[in-house]
Amino acid sequence: MRLNSLASRLIATSAVWLLLVLPLAGMLIYRLYRDDVQSAFDGGLEKLVNAIALDSMNAAGTEPVVPNNRYEPLFEETHSGWYWQIKPLDDPLARTFVSASLATATLDVPFEKKVEADAGGNRWLNAKGPLGEPLRMVEVIDTINHVTGAPRYSILVAGPLDWLDSRLSSFLARLSTALALTGIGLVTATLVQVRFGLLPLQQIERGLAAIRSGEAAKLDGELPVEIEPLQYELNQLILSNQDIVDRARTQVGNLAHALKTPLAVITNEAREDKSPLGAKVAGQAEIMRDQINYYLDRARVAAGVAVIGRSTEVAPVADSLVRALERINRDKGVVISAACSPGLRFKGEKQDLEEMLGNLLDNACKWAKKDVELVVQSVVRDGRTDTRRLLIRVEDDGPGLTEEQRARIGKRGLRLDETKPGTGLGLSIVTDLVQSYRGTMVLAQASKGGLSVSLDLPAT
Amino acid sequence: MRILVVEDDKDLNRQLVSALGDAGYAVDTVFDGEEAFFLGDTEPYDVVILDLGLPKMDGLSVLEQWRRTNRNMPVIILTARDRWSDKVAGMDAGADDYLAKPFHMEELLARVRAQVRRASGHAKSEIECGPLRLDTKTARVTCDGQQVKLTSHEYRLLAYLMHHSGRVVSRTELVEHLYEQDFDRDSNTIEVFVGRLRKKIPVDVIETVRGLGYRMNTTPDAA
Repeated sequence: MRLNSLASRLIATSAVWLLLVLPLAGMLIYRLYRDDVQSAFDGGLEKLVNAIALDSMNAAGTEPVVPNNRYEPLFEETHSGWYWQIKPLDDPLARTFVSASLATATLDVPFEKKVEADAGGNRWLNAKGPLGEPLRMVEVIDTINHVTGAPRYSILVAGPLDWLDSRLSSFLARLSTALALTGIGLVTATLVQVRFGLLPLQQIERGLAAIRSGEAAKLDGELPVEIEPLQYELNQLILSNQDIVDRARTQVGNLAHALKTPLAVITNEAREDKSPLGAKVAGQAEIMRDQINYYLDRARVAAGVAVIGRSTEVAPVADSLVRALERINRDKGVVISAACSPGLRFKGEKQDLEEMLGNLLDNACKWAKKDVELVVQSVVRDGRTDTRRLLIRVEDDGPGLTEEQRARIGKRGLRLDETKPGTGLGLSIVTDLVQSYRGTMVLAQASKGGLSVSLDLPAT
Repeated sequence: MRILVVEDDKDLNRQLVSALGDAGYAVDTVFDGEEAFFLGDTEPYDVVILDLGLPKMDGLSVLEQWRRTNRNMPVIILTARDRWSDKVAGMDAGADDYLAKPFHMEELLARVRAQVRRASGHAKSEIECGPLRLDTKTARVTCDGQQVKLTSHEYRLLAYLMHHSGRVVSRTELVEHLYEQDFDRDSNTIEVFVGRLRKKIPVDVIETVRGLGYRMNTTPDAA
């Protein structure tokens, strides 16, 4: 897939979007979950510390009551990460009580570390346990039986942050998997969407190819409303293009008609007049005739080839030309054998094919003793465009041309023998037309001895 | 030989009439399609020269209508439209030849001769008839190699008979093919010309078939 394509644009933007949005969403979800889990954890710690404070401070004497562990079994397991501690703050001689899990160790007291209490009177601190494990602890300050002014005790409960971390990392793993799967799903959906959404464009591409190759005259098919105006404008453009060319051809034809009759009159009149003036006028009129023919032909060539979407079946054109030429040359008894399989199509204007074939066959008939041969084939060549080619060969059994003559005539298309009727520009228009269709013309010696002209033209 | 010239350009029409007249043809002329169709449909022409762009009715339609009513005289299209599609259309409509303007008058005359010859079944430009020999290119008649001097009307008569040698040609047919439409058609003039001709060539070459007309004897010695 090329970079500069609608499909890759759509896919790239959606991929960039997914790359941005999915991690952001992941981070957000993780953060919310972490806050949630943390506050649940903190809530648990708070409940524990309040329960222990309540139990231990409801004492009969001056010492706190060691709480029975009905809160958390892990308080009993050594270095489990779950600890409690009751430490006197005012009386340095009073005993400090700790949970069995702490064994001989004690924990830092947030109060002594100048940790500020929150609105509920709890002091929160993240610290290290006896094994250096990270702990989350909460502390309340209370006195025995809540008597104001009595010696204060720091009651704290600690829970392992590892527990929190392992919960979070397992959540993160599951979240990442889920998000990755979502991403893959979205990319797949985008691919399908792009494919499906761009189907009409592929339809247009095929339609345009058909027009270019001449299989279709306009862009057919039902297209989505968004592209319909494009289709309409395109068809109008093709139509108006063909219109312009047709009009130009008609104008050229009208010009020809308008000029040639007066020119015929001048020529005939001048040739009747045997004075030097007559000869001069006749000569100039001949030049005018040749020039008019030449430039009319050029105009026709220029008008023709720009039109896309025209294609011409060869066989009917060849048949009617052969019929006409055999009729014109019937006194001479020229036989034209034409081998042209039906279905071969020339990628271009019918009139241009007629001009090329007609002039070649006409030349061949003029020079032939008896036989003229026309062979039309199609081949497929390597290459980017116009790989299908039409090969046209016209041969006669006439005198033929020398190599030097062939080179000259191939270049300019000039008349070699002035005595043969015709303007002699026949081959020149063929050369021009062949060039304008990016074809080639090759002159050679025919097997029958005469001239062999081969054209290589685009086919459909 | 009688020719119809259909050409709407007055100057070109005049030139054609003059050149064809000089070449020994009887020429009728019209300037529009409708009249052209009418004349071609009713008069026996040996060749028609037809322009395509005509007032009232275009040349191709005129030609097609002639062919539809089985008028099969040779038709040479003379037109400025020289594309092959035009030529093919013209030939398909039933034309026998096609000449693009501007043209050389000699070229047109050669094509006219070719059509006349072909219509009467002669392949070569020289027609032989016993000791007589007609060169259609130069409009010269020789008898045993000696040139026979003929007036324009004598030539027309002899050339027509030689083109149709071996067949009886009626006086009416001769009148129809030798004179223009508005000519005073008195068939006695034919007899006068035959009489004059017989003084210039061997008498038995033109045979009189009583009540029917004349016949050119291809082998006069055997007759």
